[in-house]
Order: sequence, then C-alpha cells, then structure tokens
Amino acid sequence: MGKRIEVLISGFGGQGVVRLGQILAQVSVDENLYTTMLVSHGTETRGGYVRTQVVISDAPVDSPVCEDPDFLVAMSKAAYNKFKPLVSQGVIIYEPYYVEQDHGLHCRQISVNAREMAINELGREIYANVVVLGYLTRLLDGTLSKDQVLKVMLQKIPKFHEENKKAFELGYSLAVS
Amino acid sequence: MDYLANKYLRPRKIPSTACSGCGLGQVHKKTVKAIDELGLGVEDVVWGTGIGCAGRQTFATWKGDNFAGTHGRVYAIASGLRIALPPDKKIICTVGDGDSFGIGFLNLLHCARRNVDMTVVVCDNLGYMSTGGQYGWTTPLGVKTDSSPYGTYESNFMQEGQDVLNILKDAGATFLARHTSLQGQEAVESIKKAILNKGFSLVHVIYPCVTNFSDRALGTRKPIAMYNWIKERTYGLHDRVPENEMCFRTGIYHDASNTRQEFSARLLEFTREIQRRAR
Amino acid sequence: MKRYFDTGNRAITEGAILAGCKVFAGYPITPATEIAENMSRRLPEVGGYYVQAEDEMTGMHIAVGASLGGLKTMTATSGPGYILYADPYGWALGCEIPIVVVNAQRVGPVSGITGAPGQGEFYIARYPTHGGNAETIVLAPNSVQEAFSLTVEAFYLSERFRMPVTVLADQLVTDGWETLELPETREEIEKMGLRFKEREICRGPVFYPFTDQLDVPPVVMGHNTGGTCSDWTPTDEGYDTEEVEWAHKHSYRLINKVRNNKEVIRRYEEHFMDDDPDVVLVAYGSPSRVMISCVKKAREEGLKVGCIRPISLWPFLDDLYHRKTNYLVVELNYDGQLVREVQRCVPTGSNVHFFGKCGELPSVAEMLLQIKQILNGEPLVRSDNWEWEAW
Repeated sequence: MGKRIEVLISGFGGQGVVRLGQILAQVSVDENLYTTMLVSHGTETRGGYVRTQVVISDAPVDSPVCEDPDFLVAMSKAAYNKFKPLVSQGVIIYEPYYVEQDHGLHCRQISVNAREMAINELGREIYANVVVLGYLTRLLDGTLSKDQVLKVMLQKIPKFHEENKKAFELGYSLAVS
Repeated sequence: MDYLANKYLRPRKIPSTACSGCGLGQVHKKTVKAIDELGLGVEDVVWGTGIGCAGRQTFATWKGDNFAGTHGRVYAIASGLRIALPPDKKIICTVGDGDSFGIGFLNLLHCARRNVDMTVVVCDNLGYMSTGGQYGWTTPLGVKTDSSPYGTYESNFMQEGQDVLNILKDAGATFLARHTSLQGQEAVESIKKAILNKGFSLVHVIYPCVTNFSDRALGTRKPIAMYNWIKERTYGLHDRVPENEMCFRTGIYHDASNTRQEFSARLLEFTREIQRRAR
Repeated sequence: MKRYFDTGNRAITEGAILAGCKVFAGYPITPATEIAENMSRRLPEVGGYYVQAEDEMTGMHIAVGASLGGLKTMTATSGPGYILYADPYGWALGCEIPIVVVNAQRVGPVSGITGAPGQGEFYIARYPTHGGNAETIVLAPNSVQEAFSLTVEAFYLSERFRMPVTVLADQLVTDGWETLELPETREEIEKMGLRFKEREICRGPVFYPFTDQLDVPPVVMGHNTGGTCSDWTPTDEGYDTEEVEWAHKHSYRLINKVRNNKEVIRRYEEHFMDDDPDVVLVAYGSPSRVMISCVKKAREEGLKVGCIRPISLWPFLDDLYHRKTNYLVVELNYDGQLVREVQRCVPTGSNVHFFGKCGELPSVAEMLLQIKQILNGEPLVRSDNWEWEAW
C-alpha cells in the first residue's frame, strides 16, 4: 500500500462509532499491517461527539492523529461540522439524515443514507453503522479484504449475525460513484 | 519483665525511652505475656506499629521482624502483608488512639470489613500525647489539653452513648475487647483470645499519660492521681454506668472468633478456584 | 510472537504478569481503571491476588505491604490518585521496597478532564513524596508495545534498586489501541531484550547499608530475619534514630544508588540528530509520536530538524541536550514542565521554545508551523489567542 491511510469516524454516543474503528483496525492487524486507534469521548450528552481515529499503514505508525483523513465518516451534525475542515484530499462520507451538506468544501463528499436503509430493510436504525462499514470496506478494497472484515465483524458483534451480514452487503453493494 | 524481655525483646530497646509513670510499658508487657502464654516464638510474630507514643516506643522492640507504617497506615500495610505471609504467622500491631481512631480509622474499618487476620492493640492515652498533649477522639468532654485550653468541645467516640467498638463491630470485626493497663491477667486473657482469632481483632487498652494528659487535665503529674482517675472510671461491661460521663467499660465486648472466613484465606481460596477453573 | 490489537492498559497488565507481579491493589480511576480490571481477571489465573482498596493511598499501601511480604506488586492510577500515593510512595522509597506504579496522566489540575490526555505529573513523578533526600526512577512509554516492555523493565529496576518505579504513561498510551506483540517463548522474550530479576531477601543484620551498590536485597517480613523497616530515619540495622549522621548515610544511599547507576536506567530515542540540526524537538509520551512524524515531514521538506525522546525521564538525561541550537519542547500541558529541565541543560546561547497542548495531541501541521517560525526567527504562532512563550 505504501502509505498511511487515515480513517476518522465520528458521531454521537450509541451509533457504534468505536465498534467500526475496532473492526477496521483489527482487520488491519490480522492482515499484518500496522495500525493505531484513538478513541475520544467528548461530552456527547450535550451535543458533542464520539470520535475514533484509525491509522493503517504497512510501516510502524508514528503519529496516531488523523489530521488529514483519507476517509471522514460523519454520522452526526456535530461530527461533520467539527472535522470537515481537516479533509483536503480525502473523502467525506456523511449521514444525510443528520448532516446538511456544506457545498463550500472542495473535497469529495458522499451521502450514504445508512439510517434510512437500515430502517427500511432491517427495521432498526442500529444497523446503520454496519451499512457504513460495508461501504467503507468497498472503498478500502485492496487494503482490507471483504472476507476478513466480515469475519472480524461477526466476532466483534456477537448478536444478530444475519441482520448484520445483510446490512454489510447493503453498504458494500452501493455503487462507488 | 526480665524473663519476657530476654525471650522476646531486643536488649538495646530496653528500657524504653518512655516518660516516668507512663503506662505504655504495662500494655506492651501484657501483649508480650499473651504471646508467651500462647507458646508462640519470636519467629511466629511479625510486629507492626503506628505513629505516636505507642508506635515509636514499641517499634523494633520485638526480636523478630518489625515494621512501622506512616501515620494511620499500618493497617493497610498489614493487609497487604497478610496476603504474602504464611497463614500461621501472627501480625500484631501496637498503635495509638490517634493512629487507629483518627487518621487510620477508614483503614481500620475496612480491615474489620475484610476480617483481615491481625491483632490490633490500641494503646490509648486519651489524646495526642507525643506531640505534647492535644485532644483526640477518646479525650473526655470538657477536659483541658494544649489544643483545648478551655476544655474539649467536640464529641468523642466514648461518651454521649457512643462507643467506637460498636462501629468496629458493625464493620465486621470478629473479636473486640477493652481494658485498662491497670488491669492484670484479664487483659492478658483478652489479648490471647484476640491473637487466637483468625480474623480482625482489636483490644482497646486505656493507659495513663502522666506527663501530658494528667498534667493538663488533672493538674498534676503525680502518677497515683492519674491511676486513680482511670480506676474510678473503670467498669465491667454489664455494670450500670453514670450517664454521659467518660467510663471505661472493660471486658470482652464482642467475640465472634473464627466464625467468618478471614480475608487472605478467602482470597487464597478464591484464587485457587479460578486457577482450577482455568485449567 | 502473538499479535494483538489492544490497549496500553492490556499491555501494562501483560507486562506485569510476565514480570512476575502477584498482587495488584488499587482504586478505580479513569483512565487507569482498565488496568485494575485486567489485573482482576489475569492475576487469579496465575495464582496472584487483586485487591480493591478504599482509596488510592490505601491501595498503594496494601501493594507495598504485600511487597514487604516478598511478592512483586503493582498499583495503577491517574493524577488525582497519584497525588494520594505521596504517603506510601515515600514509605516505599525510605524503606527501599520494590513496587511498580503506573500513572496514566490526564488533564489537570485536580479532576480536570477524565478521559483526555495530559502531562502534568512530570515533576510530581520526580518528587512523588515530601522530604526530599531521594532520587526517583520514572519511565515514559509512547506506545502500546512500549507500555508492555517498560512495565517489565520497571519491575526489573524496582528489584535491582529496591525502590518504587513509576511508569509515567498518558491517557492516549493507556486507552489507545495499537498492534501489540506478546512473546510466547523464552527465545522471543530474549529477542525483545526484556530483563527480569527475582525477589531476594535481605538477611541482615545490616538492612540499610551505607553504599550506592545495586542488588542489595530488600527487607522481607516473615522469614525471622529480624528485619525492620519504618517511616523514621533508620540506622543501618533499621532502628529508628534522630541522629543526623544516620539521616546523612541513609540519604546518601537513596540518592546515590540511583545517581551512580544511571546507565542501568538510561533510555532514549533520537532521530536525525547526526548533522547538527537547526531545530531539535523534544517530547516524551504520546506527543513524541506526532513529533517523530513531524520531523520526518520536515526532513522531506529539506529542513534540518531532529528530535530527542527521553524514555527514562528521571533521573534526567542532562547530556542529551548538549548541542547549542534551537529547541522546541512539546508537551501535553500549558505550563511547561519538561521544557524547564531542557532549559537547564542546554548550553548558553541556545534558544528553548515551548509548545503545549492539553487534552488532545498537537498535529504535525501545528508543530511544523512552529518549527518554521523558529527557523525564520519569528515568534511562535498563537492559537486561540494563546501566546507561546520563548523560554
């Protein structure tokens, strides 16, 4: 891969933001890559954010900070507004139910309607993060293998395996525009 | 003391540097006598001490192993030590009233809760006497000390219906007794029972401080005055006592010896069980 | 070697277990709670004991007490608990009892911000108790892997020097997740360069020798050695004394066993320091990770920048700062602590600058900006109306 990949995932508490980071980072370790993950809990009860910063590299990672993310996943308005200035070359993936797109940004932005898909297809919003995971896995094709992500996902999320597999596929099969 | 001193104590520490008329030696001797009458040797006991008259005067007097904690912490250190020591080793701590009922009280209560196998002999001279005589948690109400020149105004652990031993009992101590240093064999018997309890034992022993307590509270340094003052206030556990006066109700206050599993034994058993399951 | 993806808290636990730790006593506190939790799970599996104490001060006292009984022990906390260790830390220093103490630094003062990183106990770790007359040993990991290896090393040093050793981590090191490799065979352990020392027992009658020598076994209770230890100044046999000569001899040992054996403790890392850099960055703990990234970036841009990361913080490695140049010290605090020591050590004519953040890491971009300001002879850049001082 030859370079470091920074993935910043942020949202509010309960959205499974940390779980997503854990899965991506664990897969990286399993694939003999180097990885770091920092988790910070802001005051999410007062409109703050939960943030997980994952760095994946084929060399040991020095700075664990995502200061120019290759992928920013914004699952809340606060997360989007706080971290959008960081992205220069990377992609912002946002949840349109919570986020109003800022058209003044120069980077690529992708709206992934994970919440709606989760509710419509699986009946519950809790699967939204796995829809995002599926989508991210598609974007990280070549770095992380889909099979490995699925395997780790099922290890890390012990319940509702069928639903989660379906949610993952929903995200993964979204066309990469 | 000669026989006991030769057998158990370090010659360079005898005689102690205590003030003349001090009753601490009486408590110390009773403790050593109890050890002797139980047939224990120097190697069977690890001796802990606190800070203050009782701690400093008894530290490193024991021929075997000795440790002295910082103020109020000997109970916590002893709890850790208990985990490491073989179960048949006795931990005996001679401490003061300030050390145990003041600065170390939280640790003392938790030792009682955990039922840590140790015997705490509280050598109570009714206040902070090694620092020159300030009131403490067993100083009688109204008594003058250097920090209560108009008489103590604070409630203590011994009057107005309060008894520090009640708190320790509720916290889980399995043996509790109270005596004065002026009592004889009955106090020794209590200390023996305390040592035999595999659990947390505390023996509260009131002793006279002539130099500081008596001087300020009674206006005299004549030992006989202080001794009489203590004797007049000494009662049996079941005696009727005058209300709201400082009384020393002596005897075995609570004996639940060996009824509740001791802390380190429980911890050891727990660990063995987890290891067994892990295999 | 088995690879895991785990936290510094886990790494510290596994390091302690590998080093032979048998007792952990402590009190729950963010962000060190997971160390206690992990120890409560791991210790019984290896025949060890976990005790949850009524407060941090008691926790360390229980741990020191168990060490006094001959077991290797550890306690872990964060700033608010570390300050409560002052009493048992001093007791263990004075009585020369081995114990490993972990401090996962968070944002202060007082309770501050619980789940965010800080570096406010640089000096408290040097002076963890009152009274002076002692040197201390402090190691600072900057990664999950190093949290593991330095915990093992802390046990080794605590036995050889018979004293408490602090592992001064921060919230990002303890809570941060990273690749962690744990050795499984003797060969792997050796390959990692880990050092071990078993507990020995001082048989007396001299328990506190007037010497700076290492490997004097500590006092251990329960073996009828006549061992004595106390909070008072000891004679060489451990009797309490008020004589100044004994205080002098005891202090001589507490100070010089560390000062005269610094080489055993010494650890540091340097990057790009061979060509007399125009700016030398200095940081320990998690900010040093960003620092190293920053220096690599600066070199890519053709800037002559190097960096020093002290790993053994105390005793302080004065000689690392021998170059007359510009220094930029980066810390997770706003007051500047490490920078004071660097300032003390640099040759006359050097310029020492300070850039501090707290609660989150500075970025490479921020550091690079400050480096460029220094190279241009301009004042450091303000952020949020905060003025960075030149020291």
